[in-house]
Amino acid sequence: MTESAKVSPIAALPEASRRYGAVGRVSREPRWGMAVDLERCIGCWTCAVVCKSENAVPLGLWWNRILTRGEDLDTPRVGELGRLEMSWVPLACQHCDDPPCMKVCPTSATFVDGDRGRLVQVNQDDCIGCRYCMAACPYGVRVFNWSEPRYPVDGLEFGMVERRPVGSVEKCTMCIHRLVEGQVPACVWSCPVQARIFGDLNDPDGDLVRAIQDRGGKRLLEEKGTQPRVYYLEPRRRLAP
Amino acid sequence: MSVATIARNAVPRAWGPAWHGLLVGGMVVGIGSFAYQWWNGLAVTGLSNTISWGAYIITFMFLVGISAGGLIVAAGAELVGSVRFASLQRLAVVLSGTAILTAALSILPDLGRPQFVWRMLRQPHWTSPLIWDVIIITVYLTIAGLDLYVLTRPIPRPGSLRRLAAVALPAAVLVHSITAWIFGLLVARPFWNTALLAPMFISSALVSGLGLLIVAAHLVQRWTDWKPQETVYEDLGGLLVWFLAADGFLLFTEVLTTYASRVPDHLEQLDVLLFGRLAPVFWAEIALGVLVPLAICVSRLRRRRRWVVAAGTLAMAGVLAKRINIVMTSMYVPLVGLAPGIPNGRAGQGFVPAPVYVPTWVEFGILIGLASFFGMLVTLGVRYVVLPERADREAES
Repeated sequence: MTESAKVSPIAALPEASRRYGAVGRVSREPRWGMAVDLERCIGCWTCAVVCKSENAVPLGLWWNRILTRGEDLDTPRVGELGRLEMSWVPLACQHCDDPPCMKVCPTSATFVDGDRGRLVQVNQDDCIGCRYCMAACPYGVRVFNWSEPRYPVDGLEFGMVERRPVGSVEKCTMCIHRLVEGQVPACVWSCPVQARIFGDLNDPDGDLVRAIQDRGGKRLLEEKGTQPRVYYLEPRRRLAP
Repeated sequence: MSVATIARNAVPRAWGPAWHGLLVGGMVVGIGSFAYQWWNGLAVTGLSNTISWGAYIITFMFLVGISAGGLIVAAGAELVGSVRFASLQRLAVVLSGTAILTAALSILPDLGRPQFVWRMLRQPHWTSPLIWDVIIITVYLTIAGLDLYVLTRPIPRPGSLRRLAAVALPAAVLVHSITAWIFGLLVARPFWNTALLAPMFISSALVSGLGLLIVAAHLVQRWTDWKPQETVYEDLGGLLVWFLAADGFLLFTEVLTTYASRVPDHLEQLDVLLFGRLAPVFWAEIALGVLVPLAICVSRLRRRRRWVVAAGTLAMAGVLAKRINIVMTSMYVPLVGLAPGIPNGRAGQGFVPAPVYVPTWVEFGILIGLASFFGMLVTLGVRYVVLPERADREAES
C-alpha cells in the first residue's frame, strides 16, 4: 500500500462533508448499484476527472468517461419531428451480476468480491496481462497499462489507492476503498448536478431502487445478458422544438 | 548411403550456412525486439485499448491452424489405411509439432506480464477457454512427440501408429475448436459469437495446414535429395479441393445467416468486412485464397507440381488474411460506439472513435523471430528425422 492509503483522508474530513458523502441505508447483504440520471447529467466530465485523481489513473487511461449521444461531440443530432437532441452517457464498469470478463480470466485475477457487495474487482498481482477480459467486456471499460504509468506531475503522490503495475489491466472499482469507510464513490459525491444515485439494490425501499422503479431505469446492452448493476434513467422532458 | 552423408546433403553445401545464418539472424532480431518490448511495455506495439489484440494473437491462431495439416494427413491416412501419403508422414509430423510449439511461444509476447504466466498453472480458472487451450496444446505437442518417436524407431511396431492416430485425430479437432472458443464464446463480439466458429477454425486449419505441407514438401524436395512418392502433389491438391470447399461453404453460411436475419450488431461488424475498411483484404482473400487455388486444383493443372505448390501457397495466405479479418472485424466496432470512443492508452493520446491498427517494427521483429524459430526447428527436423528415413529403410531391408 502507498503512504497515502494508510492515512485515510476520509477520516480527516469535516463532519458535514462526511455526512454528504455517506452511504445511505444498507441491507444485511448489500448489492451495490448505481443509477445515472441522464436528465440531470450535463456532460461536464467532473466525475471522470475526479475519478482519475481519486484512483491515480495514469495519463492516457480513463476508468470513467462521458459518451455523447448526438451527431458528434459538439453537434446535436436531428431527432424526431426535427427536434435537436443531445445527451450524455457516463460510462464506467457496469459491475455485472454475470460478468463476462470474470469468466474468461485465466488466473481469477478478475473476481467477484463476495464479501464486499459483490462488486467485480481485479487483483493486479494475479494479472498476466493477456487482455482476454478486455476482449470479453461488451462495454469497453477496461484499460491496460501499456507502459510504465505516467502522471501529470512527476513525483506527486496523489490517489487514494495503490498504483497498478505496467502490463496489467485495470478498471473502475466502484471506489471500494471509500465504500469500506461508508462513503459513496468519488464520481457520486463529485457530481455537481447530483446525477448519480448510489445505493443497495437489495434494499427495496432505498432511494436507488425507488428511483429505478419510478423512472423505468434501463441498463446498457441488456440483451447481452450480463445483468449490469448500473441503471440509466432516461430524460422525461423534451425541449420544445 | 550412410546417415551422415544424407545429413550432410540436407541443404546443398553452398546454401546451408547462408540458410542457417538467416534463421539465426531472424531469431536474434526476434529476441532483441522482445527485449525492447519487455523494457518499454506493450506501448511499443500498435495495439490500443480498443484494438487490444493484434499481430501476436493473429499469429497464434495461424500457427495453431497450420499445425493441423500434418497430424491430420498423417493420422487420417493411418486411420483409413491409406498409403498414398506414407512418404510424407515424417515431414507432416515434424511440421505439426513445430507449428504448435511455435504457437505456444507466440502467446508470450502478447502478455503484459509474461513473467507471471505460471500463475495460469498455479491458479487455473476453469471457466476460461485459455486454460483449456493450454491443456489441449500440451496434449497435442505430446502426441506429436510420441508420433515422431514411433516413426523413427528402427523397427516400427505395427499398430502403435494407428493407436496414436485414434487419439491424435480427436485431439486435433479439439485444439482448433478450443482455440475457436477463445473467441466464439464472447458475447461482447457478435462477429465471433457464432456456433460456426469452431467448424470454421477446423476447415481453415485443414486448408492452411495442407498448404504448408505442400509448400514444405516442395522446398525439401528441391533443396535436398529427399523424394516423396510421384503422385503425392496431385493427391494433396485433390484433398485441398475438399478442404477449400468446406471452408468456403461455412463462410458462405455465416454471411448468409447474418444478412438474412439482420441482427444489428452482428450485421454492423460484418459490414466492415464485406463493404467497409476490411473489404479489400476480404475480397482478395476470397479471390486469391479460395477461388484461384480451387480452380487450379480441380483442373488438369493439378498434375503439375508447380501449380499445386502455387495453390498451396495462395490457400495458406488466404487463411492468414482470414485470421486477420476475424480479429480485426470485431475489434474495429466496439458495441458501445458513442463518441468520443475508448481512451487509446498512451500518455498524450486522446480518445479513438474510429481506431486503426498498424503493427510496429517491434511486432514485425518478434514475428520474424517466431518465423525463424519455426524455420530452424523444421530444418533440424528435416535433417535429423525426415532425411534419414531412406537410410533407416535401407538398413531395415
